[in-house]
Amino acid sequence: MKTRIKELRTARGMTQVDLAKEVGVRRETIVFLEKGKYNPSLQLAHKIASTFDMAIEDVFLL
Amino acid sequence: MKYVKPAIALVSLLVTLSIWGFIAVYRAGYEPNVLQTAIIAILLISGVYAFVVHMRQYRDEQQGFPPEDELSNRIKYKAGYYAFIASMYVWMLIFLFKAFIPDVETMLGGGILLSAFISIAIRNYMTRNYDENQN
Repeated sequence: MKTRIKELRTARGMTQVDLAKEVGVRRETIVFLEKGKYNPSLQLAHKIASTFDMAIEDVFLL
Repeated sequence: MKYVKPAIALVSLLVTLSIWGFIAVYRAGYEPNVLQTAIIAILLISGVYAFVVHMRQYRDEQQGFPPEDELSNRIKYKAGYYAFIASMYVWMLIFLFKAFIPDVETMLGGGILLSAFISIAIRNYMTRNYDENQN
């Protein structure tokens, strides 16, 4: 699954560690999400989208 | 809760070293053969791996990260499945080549340890190369 996490994160000056702590996951999870190698649960996708104040479909692209 | 992880790590290391010591004492008097050496090596690798993993989790906990999350759990379950399948084949091979194994204790002990080693290796591989779109 393609995501805009890296783009949105860097635009807000956040590191992977910052985002991981914000949504309560390990840093590796953010790495795998950014590479598109992991499809998150709906709960995690919602948390990440909320962190960026965006809708889920604007962060995660099919 | 803070000291649970290092305690588990320490215990796993002590248990491994104790087993190794027990084997060393029990077998004192003659040199271990290749199979016994391999078993001791797997014991040590498993113990050291458990120690490293628990220490890493403890460090992450200290830094405010959860020791496990949904990705690590998914990797754990998937690696467990692959390890189970691989272990079945390993046991089949062990029974096929049982004529080369000196006694039943060595066969069972070695097989169980080999299964543990396979589990460690697969989990380690999947942690580095996990890709949900391929696996």
